[in-house]
Amino acid sequence: MWRGHCALLQLTIVGVSWLLFGWSSMLGQQKPNEYQVEAAYLFNFGRFVEWPAKVATAQGNSFTICILGEDPFGSTLDATLAGEAIGGKNVVAKRISIPQESVDCQILFLSAKEAGRLNKIMEVLDKGAVLTVSDIPHFSQRGGMIQFVLEGNRIRFEVNLTATQRAGLTLSSELLKVATVVRRNPAGGD
Amino acid sequence: MLVSGAALLLACAAFFAYDLYTFRVGIVHNLSTEAKIIGSNTVSALVFNDPHAAENTLSALKASPHIVYAAIYTSDRQPLAGYWHEVNGNPLPLPPIPAGQTQAHWFNGGQIALVDSIVFQGKPTGFVYIRSDLQEINDRLRSYAFITAAVLLISLVVALLISRTSQRVISEPVVQLAQTVRIVSRDKNYAIRAAATGNHDEVSTLIESFNEMLGQLQQRDTALHQAHDELEHRVLERTTQLAVANKQLDLRNREVERATKLKSKFLASMSHELRTPLNAIVGFSDLLAEQTAGELNDKQQRFVGHIKQGSAHLLQLINDILDLSKIEAGQLELRRENFQVSSALPEVLSTIRPLAMAKNIQVEFTLKTERSVYADRVRFKQILYNLLSNAVKFTPKGGSISIDCFEKENFIGIAVTDTGIGIRAEDQKVVFEEFRQVEGSADAPVEGTGLGLAITKRLVEQQGGRISLESVVGQGSRFTFTLPSVSQASNAAQTGASVPAAIPLSGGREKPLVLIADDEASARELLASYLEPQYRTVMVESGSEAVRKAQQLLPDAITLDVLMPGGSGFETLVALRRTPETANIPIILVSISDQKRVGFALGAADYLIKPIRKPVLLETIRKHVLPYTDDDATILLVDDDPSTLELLEETLRSAGYETQSVRSGARALEVLSSKVVSAVLLDLLMPGMDGFEVLRHIRQEATLKELPIFVITGKSLTKEELALLNAETQALFQKTGSWHQQLIAELERVFHEGKLAKSAGIY
Repeated sequence: MWRGHCALLQLTIVGVSWLLFGWSSMLGQQKPNEYQVEAAYLFNFGRFVEWPAKVATAQGNSFTICILGEDPFGSTLDATLAGEAIGGKNVVAKRISIPQESVDCQILFLSAKEAGRLNKIMEVLDKGAVLTVSDIPHFSQRGGMIQFVLEGNRIRFEVNLTATQRAGLTLSSELLKVATVVRRNPAGGD
Repeated sequence: MLVSGAALLLACAAFFAYDLYTFRVGIVHNLSTEAKIIGSNTVSALVFNDPHAAENTLSALKASPHIVYAAIYTSDRQPLAGYWHEVNGNPLPLPPIPAGQTQAHWFNGGQIALVDSIVFQGKPTGFVYIRSDLQEINDRLRSYAFITAAVLLISLVVALLISRTSQRVISEPVVQLAQTVRIVSRDKNYAIRAAATGNHDEVSTLIESFNEMLGQLQQRDTALHQAHDELEHRVLERTTQLAVANKQLDLRNREVERATKLKSKFLASMSHELRTPLNAIVGFSDLLAEQTAGELNDKQQRFVGHIKQGSAHLLQLINDILDLSKIEAGQLELRRENFQVSSALPEVLSTIRPLAMAKNIQVEFTLKTERSVYADRVRFKQILYNLLSNAVKFTPKGGSISIDCFEKENFIGIAVTDTGIGIRAEDQKVVFEEFRQVEGSADAPVEGTGLGLAITKRLVEQQGGRISLESVVGQGSRFTFTLPSVSQASNAAQTGASVPAAIPLSGGREKPLVLIADDEASARELLASYLEPQYRTVMVESGSEAVRKAQQLLPDAITLDVLMPGGSGFETLVALRRTPETANIPIILVSISDQKRVGFALGAADYLIKPIRKPVLLETIRKHVLPYTDDDATILLVDDDPSTLELLEETLRSAGYETQSVRSGARALEVLSSKVVSAVLLDLLMPGMDGFEVLRHIRQEATLKELPIFVITGKSLTKEELALLNAETQALFQKTGSWHQQLIAELERVFHEGKLAKSAGIY
């Protein structure tokens, strides 16, 4: 009889754990730490980058971090940015759907889902002074300025200096120190 | 050397300490800077959580060998990256920074640890923790110490070298100079000179000046010695001179002393030599005049009168001259005592009164003070007598003389005022000089010796007083003299302390009292003058007053004038006899007429017919006043001078005494051993045994101890002799004036005392 009870117990335990696991998944955090870190990175990029003067003043009293396309951060980004300021300006998050709406943005994060339209987006952004960040693969080779890279279990990033220079952005050497790759493409962007 | 070394050391130590401090501060500062640099360079590593980047930054610290450990910590105090200089190890725990600070550092274990907080764009991002060793500082310290030591040593060596040189150039000469000074002042040798150095510097200037000074000193010293020698020589001269002068003075002193001694001896002996014969002249002429040796006819009386006058004058002159000599020789001995003027006055007055009465001059005496005068009693009376006799002399008949005694500050003043002829202004200046006399006029012939006032003045002044004169010609003169007085307080002590006078007055209380009743003033005065000084007298003018006074005073005898208004003598007599108190008083009737039988019938004790002769009166009174006179009483007279003896014999016999005369002291003692006498009259200056020796012998005999002895002498006595005589004898008479009246009085007194004692059973 004991054997029969034991087996039942084991099954119950396994079932409960599956449920728990599934429960926590259902809370909607796909990879919660990764995007928290990236949100923090986004904010911190703003601290190591200088925008051209006329652009900074034109963009008013807030430092806007925009997300184009599907928002992978959710409330995490807002929570991270809450109460923060860069250069005396309040940091706000903004979701946009078309690249043309990025004129008010200092930093623009492209969601991975936008990989298909990347070229078109880059064309539009080419004229602006927005710091483009994405975790789209080969983003920095394709004209993007900062690309998130996952090394081991750490979030690293690559920097495309040509792109930043073309946009008139000045990146602190400090930032470059921690970047994994710094691309300088004298031949221009893609 | 020591000083410079110590100074250097001190300086080095100070700099060292300061440097150490500054260096430490510097180290901290440097470390802080390094930490900050590290911090700012690891910001992105912290922000983007990149340990590698941090490590890269930290590795740059290799360049600083003193950094032992450095690490970056997140704001959660978790180590991000660490750096070990020597050996890789684990990151150390982060020490906390004290609140309120962004940085802190600690020195411990030979290392300095510093924590700095990394702030990026206002946000605390992490911490830097650096540890550095203090090797550098120690190295620095070491090198510093080394350098210091080196510098010190070198400086000292240099200093030593320099001091050697300076010593040679400066201190040696100076020390030598000091030594020279010491030698010079020790040996007082100013010939020494300091050695020159040969250089031409300040020190040699000093040496030169010093030598110059020594030269001057030497000169002065020599001069000083010379002066000193000269001075000594002069002093010696002067001393010799002084010694000689002293010797001369000494000799002269001795001469002067001798001269003074001779003078004193002269005075002493002259006194005796002159007075003794003069005494005989005066005495006998007195006796003659008193008709005790028999009645004289008119011519004889006149002759005797002349003799009396002449001798009295001579005596006065001699007394005055001797007095003056004594005063001049400073040998006047004053026996000063406190006494009332009122007690000394009566004697003088009694002598003056007859003279005044003769010219009908009134004499008044006013006493305005109770204070005593401090003076020589005898001399006081002499002064008064002189002034009064002058007053009488120069006041015409019917005039008046007043004597005022008053108080003036600490003096008693006595003014003798007369209504005489006065003294001219120019004469007033000279009256007090010797041998000066005012020119006489027809009715005031010149009398006196001219010495009276001179002596009076000196007597007054010698006793501490002053004499002055006021006079208006034709109106009168006033002579005022002052003598020191005594306060009331000492009055009480005066009577016991005084030295007895040369001529002791009979104690007033012992003298019998005679009441004189007569309506005529002159008659009263006359009787009074006869009776004084042996008896006290009280005068009354009428019979009724006589009765009253007799009851009041209870006299020893009463003389009663018969012919008196307001109760004739007889009535008074009866009244007196009836009154029980006065019944037993002997009454002697005095009258011009002879009514003896009536008188005796009415109870008179005796009856005398005017004019009364003095001895008669005296005898009569004596008979009745002292009825217990021992008729067997013999008085022994001792004197080597026969005339004196005879004088004494006459005087005493006339007073009713028996006498025996001897001419030497030895004989006197013989008589005394074989016979009982009632008194001895003793002369002092006798050949063989003198009076003093006799006195001594007498007093040694037990039986003769109480024997009354009266000394009569012309010798001027010394204080010691006087004291002796006062102690051993009953009375002392000096042959200066009319002493024989006194004598009788004294004898009576002594006998009276003796009788009282006998009757009281003392003998």
